Amino acid sequence: MDRECVSLLPRVCEVLAASGSSLPDDTSLEKLLDWFTALTKAEGSLLEACPCLLGFISTVVHNTALDPSILSFTLKLAGLVAVTEDGFKALQECSVLDLVFNLQRWQEAGLWEDPCIRIGWIQGLRAMLQHPKALSFFVQADFIQPLLQLQTDTSLFVASAANQMLAYVLVFCQSVSSVGCNGVDKKEDEDRSSHATTTDLEYPAVPMETNQDYTAVVTAILEYLKKSLVPKENTQLHQSVQILKVLALLLAQTRPPLWDKLLQTVVDSVEELLTADYSQLTLPLMDVILAAYSSCSADHRLPDQRVSRLLSFMLNIKKPADLIQAAAAFLRRGHHDRVHTAQSVRALLLPLDIITGLSLLDTNITDKERFSMVEQLKSKTSCISVICVCLTNTPQISLTAADCLPCPPALTVTAVLSLLRLCGGDSSSSSAGCSQVYTNVIGSGKVQKCALEALAALSGSPGVKVKLPEVFTLLIQYLDNPDSDPTVLHKSYQALVKWMTVCTDLSSITDHQKQDLVKVVRKRACDMRWEVRDSTVEFLGHLAGVNACQTSPGEVTDASEALLGGCCCTTPLFKEALQDPESYVRASAVSALAQTLAQSWQQGAAETQEQTEIVNRLLEILSEDTEGFARRAVVRYFIAWFSSRSSHSSPSPPTSSSLLMQSVRSVLSQGSADLDWEVKVHTLELAELLLDEAFSGHWGYVKGSDPHPVQPHPYAVISDQAYALHTHTGTHKEDVDSDLVGVLNSLVERGVISALLSGLVDCDRPVALKACRLLVTLRQTVCPRSLGALDATAAMATVARVTCELPGRGWALEIRKILAMRSQAKEADEEKSYNRADVVVSDDCGEAGEEAVGAECHTLPVSVCQVLRSLDLDERLDILTQSSDHVHNSPLSLLQDILTASAAHTRPNVQPGQEVIVDCY
Amino acid sequence: MKLYCLSGHPTLPCNVLKFKSTTIMLDCGLDTTSVLNFLPLPLVHSPRLSKLPGWVSKDGTINLEKELKECAGRVFVDSQPEFCLPERELLDLSNIDVILISNYHCMMALPYITEHTGFTGTVYATEPTLQIGRLLMEEVVNFMERVPKAQSATCWKNKEIQRMLPGPLKDAVDVWTWKRCYSMQEVNSALSKVQLVGYSQKVELFGAVQISPLSSGYSLGSSNWIIQSHHEKVSYVSGSSLLTTHPQPMDQSSLKNSDVLILTGLTQMPTANPDGMLGEFCSNLAMTIRAGGNVLVPCYSSGVIYDLLECLYQFIESANLGTTPFYFISPVANSSLEFSQIFAEWLCHNKQSKVYLPEPPFPHAELIQTNKLKHYPSIHGDFSSEFRQPCVVFTGHPSLRFGDVVHFMELWGKSGLNTIIFTEPDFSYLDALAPYQPLAMKCVYCPIDTRLNFHQVSKLLKEVQPLHVVCPEQYTQPPLTQSHRSDLMLELQPPPMPYRRCSVLNLPFRRRYERVYIMPELANSLVPSEIKPGISVATVSAVVHSKDNKHTLQSVPKPPPVAPSKKRKRVMDEPPVVLAPKPLLSGAVPLEAFLATLQKHGITEVKVEETADGHILHLQAEDTLIQLEEDGTHIVCDNNEPLRTTLRDLVLRFLQKL
Repeated sequence: MDRECVSLLPRVCEVLAASGSSLPDDTSLEKLLDWFTALTKAEGSLLEACPCLLGFISTVVHNTALDPSILSFTLKLAGLVAVTEDGFKALQECSVLDLVFNLQRWQEAGLWEDPCIRIGWIQGLRAMLQHPKALSFFVQADFIQPLLQLQTDTSLFVASAANQMLAYVLVFCQSVSSVGCNGVDKKEDEDRSSHATTTDLEYPAVPMETNQDYTAVVTAILEYLKKSLVPKENTQLHQSVQILKVLALLLAQTRPPLWDKLLQTVVDSVEELLTADYSQLTLPLMDVILAAYSSCSADHRLPDQRVSRLLSFMLNIKKPADLIQAAAAFLRRGHHDRVHTAQSVRALLLPLDIITGLSLLDTNITDKERFSMVEQLKSKTSCISVICVCLTNTPQISLTAADCLPCPPALTVTAVLSLLRLCGGDSSSSSAGCSQVYTNVIGSGKVQKCALEALAALSGSPGVKVKLPEVFTLLIQYLDNPDSDPTVLHKSYQALVKWMTVCTDLSSITDHQKQDLVKVVRKRACDMRWEVRDSTVEFLGHLAGVNACQTSPGEVTDASEALLGGCCCTTPLFKEALQDPESYVRASAVSALAQTLAQSWQQGAAETQEQTEIVNRLLEILSEDTEGFARRAVVRYFIAWFSSRSSHSSPSPPTSSSLLMQSVRSVLSQGSADLDWEVKVHTLELAELLLDEAFSGHWGYVKGSDPHPVQPHPYAVISDQAYALHTHTGTHKEDVDSDLVGVLNSLVERGVISALLSGLVDCDRPVALKACRLLVTLRQTVCPRSLGALDATAAMATVARVTCELPGRGWALEIRKILAMRSQAKEADEEKSYNRADVVVSDDCGEAGEEAVGAECHTLPVSVCQVLRSLDLDERLDILTQSSDHVHNSPLSLLQDILTASAAHTRPNVQPGQEVIVDCY
Repeated sequence: MKLYCLSGHPTLPCNVLKFKSTTIMLDCGLDTTSVLNFLPLPLVHSPRLSKLPGWVSKDGTINLEKELKECAGRVFVDSQPEFCLPERELLDLSNIDVILISNYHCMMALPYITEHTGFTGTVYATEPTLQIGRLLMEEVVNFMERVPKAQSATCWKNKEIQRMLPGPLKDAVDVWTWKRCYSMQEVNSALSKVQLVGYSQKVELFGAVQISPLSSGYSLGSSNWIIQSHHEKVSYVSGSSLLTTHPQPMDQSSLKNSDVLILTGLTQMPTANPDGMLGEFCSNLAMTIRAGGNVLVPCYSSGVIYDLLECLYQFIESANLGTTPFYFISPVANSSLEFSQIFAEWLCHNKQSKVYLPEPPFPHAELIQTNKLKHYPSIHGDFSSEFRQPCVVFTGHPSLRFGDVVHFMELWGKSGLNTIIFTEPDFSYLDALAPYQPLAMKCVYCPIDTRLNFHQVSKLLKEVQPLHVVCPEQYTQPPLTQSHRSDLMLELQPPPMPYRRCSVLNLPFRRRYERVYIMPELANSLVPSEIKPGISVATVSAVVHSKDNKHTLQSVPKPPPVAPSKKRKRVMDEPPVVLAPKPLLSGAVPLEAFLATLQKHGITEVKVEETADGHILHLQAEDTLIQLEEDGTHIVCDNNEPLRTTLRDLVLRFLQKL
């Protein structure tokens, strides 16, 4: 721990103990606790590290007039201190412990009303309960009763914490007492420690009487659970829900024999609840049953008879809405239980069966079941919600083994298709369906979306490929329908792509259908709503990325080619989309173009006039577009082009890639001067590709700035695609070594070096970091430090002569300033070595540097190697690697903040800043 | 109360309501779908149309070469198009007191009614309805008169011959009543009978009923009407819309508490959502222009076109159509575009507030200013010199039988690059296109009908809760082509009363109360006496005066002083004999007390018998019966007047007198 922090802590404690109202903000205490928790984990005893805390706790506890938030903080802190037995003992010796957790005291002081005190109490106890002594304390103080009461507290936070605590106490009792008992073999012990939340703590043997205490606790809790589970009246349902939550936690965490005991205690009550038919309890009940069920299967035990019985009961409840919920919950867990799976699947398919009139189910469904479901479906709202639950679980259904399904998957696809037709108002196809029911789904966007998702998910089921033409026709109808809302259209496109990905054989699609698709895509590309234009363009891109074999089995082409006739249909649409007023559409068009052209790039097809036009337009977007999305997409386009080209053809054959090479230079210069940091990062990625290509095979070059493995971006999500793009085969074995000068020269010429240098001085950290890493790699390759300036070989000497130009403005000024400072410092160093006494390194060498730079506004040629060596890249890299808020978030800063705020508070004329009040007790 | 239904067309209604002593015509719609049976009237000589073969029946017995022409397998009448008028035989139209117009599309038959039936009443309409209605009538007259046809085909209407004709002509009904278009003079005369009203303005009709227009949200100045007396309320809902387009929103709350609600003018396209159609319109338009083709939009010169232009105003930018010219060609194009801008008080709130900025409420002003939208009275003149392709042309008539649209059909029909986009829902697009077949031009049908759909109307009716609903029979069953769509019909409790052309409905509702006024001096003379706490009763003797459907109670005039001369005395002058009114009795006779009283008067032998309604007392000694019932007392005794009088007085003692 920082010595400085320790020295500040006593003063901070004083401030806190004096008054809490002067805190910098109300998250400070939480942050402080986080720090203490981290300390506890790292150093074991908190009291050893910060002895002043003991005094603090005892002072605060005696002063009930303090702000409740400070008191709550102290309760939690006391728990943390008592985590170790030493700390516990220390607290007990100065008789603070009893005081801290003395519930009656808090009640008498009127502070118990405040939920933050209650939660502090619970969390303090929860933290402390790590060793048998603490448990003894807990038992002897008889905290179990108040804890049970808190379980139904008016504050949700308190109730939930109490719930967790209850579960924890039981699990803890189990683990502690089992150490004392014999008959626990080592393996199971290990299992348990990884299973239960208490870890890495060794328990001494527990005396017999303590063991009895635990048994008493366990019995008390079990009794309570049993007693309170079944509500006496409807108003007590809340309590039942809470208890069911505890049970779900417990049944998932405990192990036999406690598990058995628990189950034995509550099984009757659970059954009673099941028969009582409380709809609100369906889901919590299902959670409990499934927790019990899963914990059996997790241990590879046979499912307990009682659990199986409860589950069967659950899957046979009478209320259709509850039944659907239960069945869905069961299926989502993915158990391999044939009987119950089949039962759940049937329950979920029943509404589809009714609404579409297709007989998805065998005749085993009783008329009564069918009737009550029909009644449920007759109301519009419940119909839509039931159908949506069924549809969202269709992916699970499609994953189940064939012998659990009442009908082949193809029939399920037919049912979904039929439902989608009904939603569109076309019910002629299913006259067998219940008309009162299906009018409820006509025009329902929610059902449409769910059904389209289900349709997409079903594409992978066995034996459904025959349905492709039907699916295709329906999806085109949906795409053509004027009333489809943008999300429905989007989902239709997704479903279509999904089916195209799965069914590579498109021979079953007729020319007429293809024409319809072309027509509808053309129409949607002109849609009024930009979302629709965007999804259309995106779809075209995705389609180009899907492989399909159309004619002969060997001939593989992409789905865009097979369905739409390829570029001649899509490129005009993309060209229009590049002019779109909405930036998202422009961006999607750029990406889609990249996907469409990828194949021709890979094959090294000759450039066309059209391609030149497109490239010009893209460069125009990069330089002129006001929105970042489109510009980012343009840079990625060139990344994709560059990498797909180099992955297949030998590097830089002059003819095919001259257009690319010409444009890369503009992309690098414009991209690195962009205002958007992501564009700049992408530009650096392109520069990286150029480096990779230039130095591939060079002995000193480590690809992909590997010395520092790729870290997630500090403040951005970079698409996987961008990373996936530069996985090169790396098979080129050119003899590049001797040509280092030529390579470096070409990098300078293409603007790679400028891009890297400008990135280095960028104010956005991700950009600077990326540039810095690349520069480090470059330095290691072209002028390795090991050789040193003096030991340079002849070849190296020539490399050192390669220069790049630093113009007299923008980023280059910054670089020149750094270089000037370096050389001044160097001169000063040298001077110092001659005349140590006289030289004072002046603080204002920065200004001097600026003057030096300002004097010459023209371009300055500098040696690349010299620049690389002079920029202190390693030091920069260290700084940049730290997160930008590392200073701000340090505990030292927190402690200082607290002290400053209190100082400001004591000054009377300073107004306290506006507090942000957040509910976080 | 009766409703006479003169039109079977649900969106072009013409009904007559007899209510109290008034006869009110509700709307005056003209069914123009009949023109689809006629050949188009080309503005410029069309060799194709003039070369069409005449029709001769297969066996050659009927030769109507002059009247009927065959085109693409269908037969068309070669004459000036004729319209199907509202029924004129069902009742004497000269008795009509007033005609209420709900919107400018529902008044096109007005000249036929006001000019040739002896009509002497008044027509009520809002100002935009009148002005835009006039424009539409002018436009039709202009279209017809520009292409005069000397010949008038009548032979085919012969019943015997019509039976032999093919296709839709054979099934056309009432062809004898079809009439050619009216003249401008008739239009002017008809419209001179219009009296302007504003929303919520109350107009008294002969003191009997009060009529008042309410905003219906469908088009500029469109209205629903409330027709009410003191105790009855009839609502007439015609062509209403709940969508947010340019007109003032619909006033729903005033329709509440109606005894009868007559519901017409629901959407003709219940499955086509206007927003979706608007999107379809725009994307097809953009697609055609991008491919280098022209777009033809056959439309009326007012109404949806304002919304189309507004939508395009926003769309032009996003679809890069900035340089494409938009033309609006109609004899009344200029007036229509300008009128729309000046009827600020009839517009939706959003547009109204623009006027105060001040800005034109509709963005088409800006389109005109920036030369993106140009309008011309016809294809002749300036238009031909400035015409640039590819372009978008809005022009009439949507039936494609007359107007400038005929020319564009002939001009652009042969190229597959061009597209015709139908936006008006009044005509079947396949029938409209029939005389132009074979057609290479692409054709897109996106009817935009903003009127109420069934979902909206059932919500509306739930809200306003009328006692009875009357509607065209088409609304009481699902559309013929979609018999399973039970959501596309009105399902109400009690079920709506359907009507069809020539129906006469007795509206299921009886007038039970009438308001009568009492003169102050008469009121002063009344002496109320309380019979129950809070309820006082007084008797009144007065004379009822009825004038202008108002009833007044006046004091009975004193008998005039005896005339000095008794020579001439007419019977009529004799003053009414004024008798002091007998007091009204109330209360019940208590049995025990009555028996006691009888005993006091020496009547002792009384046998009491209980009946369903009261008691019968048998005075055995006197051989007399007294029947005491809830609403009457009878004393039956033979020829013993003194006894009867005594008994009567005894009974009266127990009753209150008024």
